[in-house]
Amino acid sequence: MIEALFQGLLQVLAWKPLLFMLIGIVLGFWVGLLPGLGGATTLALMLPFIYGMQPIEAFAFLLGMHSVVATTGDITSILFGVPGEATTAAIILDGHAMAKKGEAGRALGAALSSSLVGAMIGAFALAAAVPIVRPLVLSFGSPELFMLAIVGLAFIAALSAEGGRGMLRGFTAGGLGLLLSMVGQDPQAGVARYTFNTLYLWQGLDLVPVLVGLFAIPELVDLAVRGTSIAGELPVGKLTKGALEGVKDTFRHFWLTIRCSLIGTFIGIMPGLGGSVAQWLAYGHAAQSARTAEERKGFGNGDVRGVIGPGAACNSKEGGSLVPTVAFGVPGSTAMAILLGGFFLLGLVPGPDMLTTHLTVTFSMVWTIVLANVITVTACFLFLDRLARLTSVPAHRLIPVILVLVFIGSYTTNNQYADILVTLIFGAVGWLMVSAGWPRAPFVLGLVLGKIAENYLYISVARYEVAWLTRPVVVVLFALAVVVIVYPILRARRLARREANA
Amino acid sequence: MKRAVLSLLLVFWAAPLLAQDYAGKTVTIVVGYKTGGGYDKVARVLARHLPKYLTGKPNVIVQNMPGANSLIAADYIYNIAKPDGLTLGTFNRNLPIAQLTHVAGVKFDMRKFQWVGSAASESTVLAIRDDLPYRTFEDLKKVPADKPLIIGATGPGANTYDFPLLLKELLGIHLKIVSGYPSSGDIMLAVERKEADGRAGSFTSLTPFIDRKLVRPLVRSRASEPGIEKLPVDESFAPNARAKAIMALRSAPEVIGRPYVMPPGTPAAAVEAMRQAFARVIDDKDLKAEARKQKLDLNYVSGDEALKVINELLDQPKDVVDEFSKYIKFGE
Repeated sequence: MIEALFQGLLQVLAWKPLLFMLIGIVLGFWVGLLPGLGGATTLALMLPFIYGMQPIEAFAFLLGMHSVVATTGDITSILFGVPGEATTAAIILDGHAMAKKGEAGRALGAALSSSLVGAMIGAFALAAAVPIVRPLVLSFGSPELFMLAIVGLAFIAALSAEGGRGMLRGFTAGGLGLLLSMVGQDPQAGVARYTFNTLYLWQGLDLVPVLVGLFAIPELVDLAVRGTSIAGELPVGKLTKGALEGVKDTFRHFWLTIRCSLIGTFIGIMPGLGGSVAQWLAYGHAAQSARTAEERKGFGNGDVRGVIGPGAACNSKEGGSLVPTVAFGVPGSTAMAILLGGFFLLGLVPGPDMLTTHLTVTFSMVWTIVLANVITVTACFLFLDRLARLTSVPAHRLIPVILVLVFIGSYTTNNQYADILVTLIFGAVGWLMVSAGWPRAPFVLGLVLGKIAENYLYISVARYEVAWLTRPVVVVLFALAVVVIVYPILRARRLARREANA
Repeated sequence: MKRAVLSLLLVFWAAPLLAQDYAGKTVTIVVGYKTGGGYDKVARVLARHLPKYLTGKPNVIVQNMPGANSLIAADYIYNIAKPDGLTLGTFNRNLPIAQLTHVAGVKFDMRKFQWVGSAASESTVLAIRDDLPYRTFEDLKKVPADKPLIIGATGPGANTYDFPLLLKELLGIHLKIVSGYPSSGDIMLAVERKEADGRAGSFTSLTPFIDRKLVRPLVRSRASEPGIEKLPVDESFAPNARAKAIMALRSAPEVIGRPYVMPPGTPAAAVEAMRQAFARVIDDKDLKAEARKQKLDLNYVSGDEALKVINELLDQPKDVVDEFSKYIKFGE
């Protein structure tokens, strides 16, 4: 196995795979920066180019491209508050808040370094999971996946403000998100729910226009009202200084980085949960790490931990989602489903063979993820000064550009004008939520997890009736969900007592 | 005067001929799904090879128009796309069923599209776990009522759901259909961990799992493919003519598994040119090699044949349609 590990590295480093990887990286770089143009779509479009390639070259090209997308998506999210990818929305909450405080450099530094650590851990997980992947994935059935969704929803507690009022708002927003996830044809009876007889809503709300509206529009309104640059009136020199500080932040909160990377990897490994869940769970976990009420209030207003958490999870999940793709031929995300097509094109059959006969190819994928991220992050650091300076461009020059990005971004998801309408509607919703002090993260969590929770609950009950409730993993996850909800309440109480004593 | 009439005549004569010269033009294939799915893959393979069979070698591009199980795309091709011979469309093979059962949002008449043909037939099979004691369809009849086989499905309207539903309702096989899995891949994992006992689906999508002996196919629908000719057909077990008609109706669209149409009113010459190109491109050696690599099993069905299937399908007595609607819903 060790031999295959090194062979994988040597083969990736041969000139042809390396060249293809670089081409992939350049492509992925732009795809990540531009909102709307997603990693999965680009993979599908690039698939025909791999015909003449050897497997290792092809995966260097495709994976090189794909693993960069999440990294550069963070940049758009932090600088402009526009999600560069659907998977990089959570980082906006604190990343863009930091940019507004004039700390764009530090936020970018933290995002890039945590992305790199995340990618490494995800890749390492892929390599380490090789011997145990089958039992691990097979031990998670529908009841377990349902409970995972419940644990995810429990994170709403961590994403809401302290106190009864904050909790109430958080869970209401989460409930609203759940409600909106029900839009569309249901998969049990085939009934069209809340579609108002429109074809557009038949398959539910698309996440991209909703996220773009919810996060980008309020920022644009804010920017227009202030009339200054994103970073306000701060001197330019200060913006770019913090990059190294951001890198240090990642290592200052190293255990948080590791834990969030592991969350991302785990969500990636579980097929059927989807790519956009990991970032929100990681963000919720990062918010939990606040020790005082004061610190808790800092989340959403530019706490660097809110950048590190999703940054790490977003990149680590890619390595994770390769695991079921390689080992079972069952993709962990849309992008992986397309990559699966790549396997067939190359004459490889995903499944147990990839862990024995084609082990070198599998390890070459691990190395591609690692190398592509190292190259990208290094390249980004070279441009970081200029990137961070964008936050000092005056609003009247920046707003038209961002608006174009916002509308193209939401329109290209389905090529329908209704997408733009959805963006505008959720822009208004987002603006109202921000100005009334309602948290947006629980809303998104509800929207992302609603369908997953509903379907797996249905399957669990239909398949096992009530017997699934006693499965050991289900019980453990249930206990975890309770802890996640109760913990912030207990902590608030303990803090209050301590303050009373002091 | 004579000359004027002559030149006018010439223009009318030449117009359809000019329509067939695609030099410098762009032909668009509108696909009713997002990038990466089966319909999209087939369209992209065709787009790469179609130019050499059209005079003037036009650009052929693919435009994805996802939404409402491709109803949006079909409505667009029927009502909005220009019938200038430069638009091809492909959509969910079950759209004729949507029209038959009067689904809201159907703004087309399948019979009035200019049918170019179909690029593949898709056969549905039911496959169950290889370690189960049921080896043939006859065995399947012995499944006890109190311990039904669990069949994983994605949702109503998909063949993962509709095919086993008719086996259960019309042939009385004891199956329990559990639906809501996000994709057929997720059902395969459920089969692997013994949460589900099997699944129905297109034979092509099941092949890798049949090859590695996870599941075995027991029964198929009417459309056949190499490798499953000998499997029994669901219709052959129908207890009466009504049941047979309903099963036949469900599987009819599978013969035209990858339908290709042009907008109604497209000039006859342009349709003819496209039909000929379509018939030849599917036999193209390079295309075949490419399709084989992508695990796409392409075979040509002519436009006339496709239209015949559509006409038969839409020409059902009301009582059959009513009974059919009780079981089958358009979706997915």
